[in-house]
Amino acid sequence: MHTKAAVAFVFLAALIMSVTIFPPFAWPQTGQDKPAPQDQTKSPDAAKPDSTELKSAPTDEGQLAAVNNAKMPAYAKVYVAPMLGGFENYIIAGLRNKKVPLTVVVDRSKAEYEISGVSETDKAGWAKMLFMGSQNSNEQASIKIADLRTGAIIFGYSVHKTNSVRGRQSAGEACAKHIKQIVVD
Amino acid sequence: MSYGRTVVKVLVLLLAGVACTALAEDTKNAKPSEKIPKGAKIYVAPISDGFDTYLKTALLDKKVPVEVVDSREKAEYQIDGVSDTQKAGTAKKVIMWDWHSREEASIRVSNILSGEVVWSYSVHKESSAHGKKSTAEACAKHLKEAIAEK
Repeated sequence: MHTKAAVAFVFLAALIMSVTIFPPFAWPQTGQDKPAPQDQTKSPDAAKPDSTELKSAPTDEGQLAAVNNAKMPAYAKVYVAPMLGGFENYIIAGLRNKKVPLTVVVDRSKAEYEISGVSETDKAGWAKMLFMGSQNSNEQASIKIADLRTGAIIFGYSVHKTNSVRGRQSAGEACAKHIKQIVVD
Repeated sequence: MSYGRTVVKVLVLLLAGVACTALAEDTKNAKPSEKIPKGAKIYVAPISDGFDTYLKTALLDKKVPVEVVDSREKAEYQIDGVSDTQKAGTAKKVIMWDWHSREEASIRVSNILSGEVVWSYSVHKESSAHGKKSTAEACAKHLKEAIAEK
């Protein structure tokens, strides 16, 4: 009886020691966590993203990326594609509110550029109201601008707002503000 | 003498050509100068949750100088948009002590012929005293200001 208990104790102690000495991050990775094997034939520079191809800069609200430092001419005709929950209306209103010099058209065939994207709203639940004392929603949206002649994506932007005071209006205006940065007046 | 006239004609033609080309470049992406005129015929397209009805009422209440028509064929401009209402839940009533709904709406006015969006507006009311009526009247008020300043 005592022998069995002693063996079990030793086994448990060994198990705990092995976990302590060899933490999980040192164990061999399996499945999706395992990094993809590097192609040894490629040069080290090939693995790095081309800095001239994609320029990304962190902002206060989200991430924007202008491909090849692309710019849009002022008063270019832009079509805003329908988005979930009618977010395209908020983007159009944001473009006007932020005085972005673009012409929005409702017919895609008349446009030079197309703005498309996705948005999501997470409304405040009872727990947020109780513990955080906030009834503001969390908003997130992501948009991209495509040149309709070439089909190239020239701009992308994502925004996430925790406790958005003006809901989707804030997200739409954030998108518009950053679109303005690539419009050449 | 005739040689001199020919040279002058050629120069005039060249200048005219250069001027036309420059004008074409300028008007390629010209700033849209379209404005909503007073008395314009406007069609309000159906909006989710019947917000178009509130908007039509608000246009009348705020005395916006436009004529609302019931058919798109008769109209010069069209109002499209989206509206969202979140009624106050138990948590909001008990914890925040607030019975008012959360309202947001966004509308745009587009010229039916040219297809250009000439005006747009978004409104968000965290605690709307009169629900959709408040947001619709905010839209109408700002549309009236836009027409008046133009």
